[in-house]
Amino acid sequence: MAIKFKRVNYIYQGMDGTPFRALKDINLTIEEKGEFITLIGETGSGKSTLVQHMNALIKPTSGQVEIYGIKIEETKKKSSKIKLNPLRQKIGLVFQFPDYQLFEETVERDIMFGPMNFGISKEEAKKRAKEVIQLVGLETGYLERSPFNLSGGEKKRVSIAGILAMEPDILVLDEPTSGLDPKGRDELLELFLSIHNKLNNTVLIITHDMNTVYQYASRVLVMNDGNLVFDGKPIDLFASPKLSSWNLDKPDLIDLCDKLSERLNITFENYPKDLEKVVARIKAGYHE
Amino acid sequence: MNNIIIGQYIPGTSYLYKLDPRSKILSLVLLMVATFVLDTMTGMLIFLGAMVILLLSGKISITRVLNGLKPIFVLLMFTFTFQALFVTTGTLYIDEILHFNYYTITASLLVFLTWFFSKKYIKYSILYFLLMIVSIILVLIYLPQGTDFASTPLQIYQGGVEGALFIMMRLIIIVTLSTILTLTTKPTDLTLGLEKLLKPLKIIKISSEEIALIISIALRYIPTLLDEANKIMLAQASRGVDFKEGKLKDKIVQIVSLLVPMFIISFKRSDELANAMEARNFVPGQRRTRLHVLLWHKLDSYTVLLSSLVFVFVIVITVIR
Ligand SMILES: Nc1ncnc2c1ncn2[C@@H]1O[C@H](COP(=O)(O)OP(=O)(O)OP(=O)(O)O)[C@@H](O)[C@H]1O
Ligand SMILES: [Mg+2]
Repeated sequence: MAIKFKRVNYIYQGMDGTPFRALKDINLTIEEKGEFITLIGETGSGKSTLVQHMNALIKPTSGQVEIYGIKIEETKKKSSKIKLNPLRQKIGLVFQFPDYQLFEETVERDIMFGPMNFGISKEEAKKRAKEVIQLVGLETGYLERSPFNLSGGEKKRVSIAGILAMEPDILVLDEPTSGLDPKGRDELLELFLSIHNKLNNTVLIITHDMNTVYQYASRVLVMNDGNLVFDGKPIDLFASPKLSSWNLDKPDLIDLCDKLSERLNITFENYPKDLEKVVARIKAGYHE
Repeated sequence: MNNIIIGQYIPGTSYLYKLDPRSKILSLVLLMVATFVLDTMTGMLIFLGAMVILLLSGKISITRVLNGLKPIFVLLMFTFTFQALFVTTGTLYIDEILHFNYYTITASLLVFLTWFFSKKYIKYSILYFLLMIVSIILVLIYLPQGTDFASTPLQIYQGGVEGALFIMMRLIIIVTLSTILTLTTKPTDLTLGLEKLLKPLKIIKISSEEIALIISIALRYIPTLLDEANKIMLAQASRGVDFKEGKLKDKIVQIVSLLVPMFIISFKRSDELANAMEARNFVPGQRRTRLHVLLWHKLDSYTVLLSSLVFVFVIVITVIR
């Protein structure tokens, strides 16, 4: 087990001193291998706060996060001697907004920044930059461009490339597909899936898109008002009666299947994962 | 960053909150000038007493104001030390010799180390620091003496102590006054009051509306920028930037990695803000109505009157002396 949350609470101190409980008693375990997790929940439910605990960017106000055996907790002593940087290399976190991290003159140097901070040589970092820029679907010509003149989607890809170049064991992405066109979104999701398949590494994606959850995830976490309210298989989530009370809805395919069985009495034994199967079932039903 | 309370409004209901910002600003200016002019110890003490009464009657927590004084604590210590050591008028209070020998230096080091390792368990860190300094001085003066390899006289005169206390009190009063203003007045009201008070500057072609607009936008964005800086630091930390450590060369890279995104985001924001304002047909300096109109009550007149009286009184007394 790579990451373990034990009764984690997190309280934001607002500017005017009013406390805000962003995480409430979170218990959670994430394995190093074999999981493709999606984290969903309405805006402001604490998703970003939760993932920032996973590479020790913020420390729990109470409770404990254990990352690769290293216990992270709120200590009164300021001089805790734990080295956090190795953890941040192992667990790569891509932030929600690329503007927060791009700062170098060229895209290439920005991608090299992360690996070089973790002691990778310049040549090796250059090599990785060239690889990952193609992985995220940009041509190598982009390496020479300034990161500030890129479009929102391109910036997003560069910021993802910057983390991929660190070659983390676990990849955590905060809304990696927001602001991308449908084709770009699917390409990136396929990329994450292929990384996951190739090395069997765990990938965690925050998303607002139920289709992503349904199509890709092996496990889904649901946040609601600072609580972790669901942790299990996507298929069980979408069968849950509480779904709408968490302000979530069903993926298009499940919606379609439900409507079909409701209106046309075409029933499904278990929900199919692609449209072709639905079509086939309808055809079969039509001939009956 | 959280203990800078100058410029932070805390909601409340006492009479200080009900006053018009114009009368508060006017009184603040009058009283500040009076504090600068005032040059007797009794006067200062009376002012300090009045300050406490003001805080108590206005239901402002004194610890909050003391916290506000923290940022200028270093400045206070400096002025105090320099005044106390280098002014040599009046009668001699303390005339001792600081001995530097193996005993005293080891003992001082011990005191320092005890302080250093126990300070995180003590709540009143500033008092504890003072205690440490005083103990070291006592050790240097009184410990059984071997052979000194260096010594300096420590002489403190009445004039020095009084001067130091005087300057400290003056600083404390001024900071407290401005803290009262900013604690009890919303930034928007503050700028509105300023705008109204600076109206006469129109004669020399300075538009008070524009000044007020600039101030209020700046105030509005300070918390946002702090928040943003925090997020950028987190984003860079997850790429291996350790803001707490590093050699000078690393430090420079760290700061660049923070500042560049800050600038980019700020420019973007100001661009967006300008567009949004233009889209709503905003023209600076144009006459417009207000949602909140400032109202001048009787209490305001009394406040300004009282402050003016204090001001005139102090001036007259000082001139006569
Ligand atoms: N720096 C901060 N100071 C105070 N409150 C904060 C801060 N950051 C977040 N919050 C609050 O904590 C709550 C959770 O925020 P978080 O960013 O984790 O939400 P989220 O689930 O990621 O939302 P989104 O889907 O919009 O990204 C929000 O209500 C937010 O207002
Ligand atoms: Mg978020």
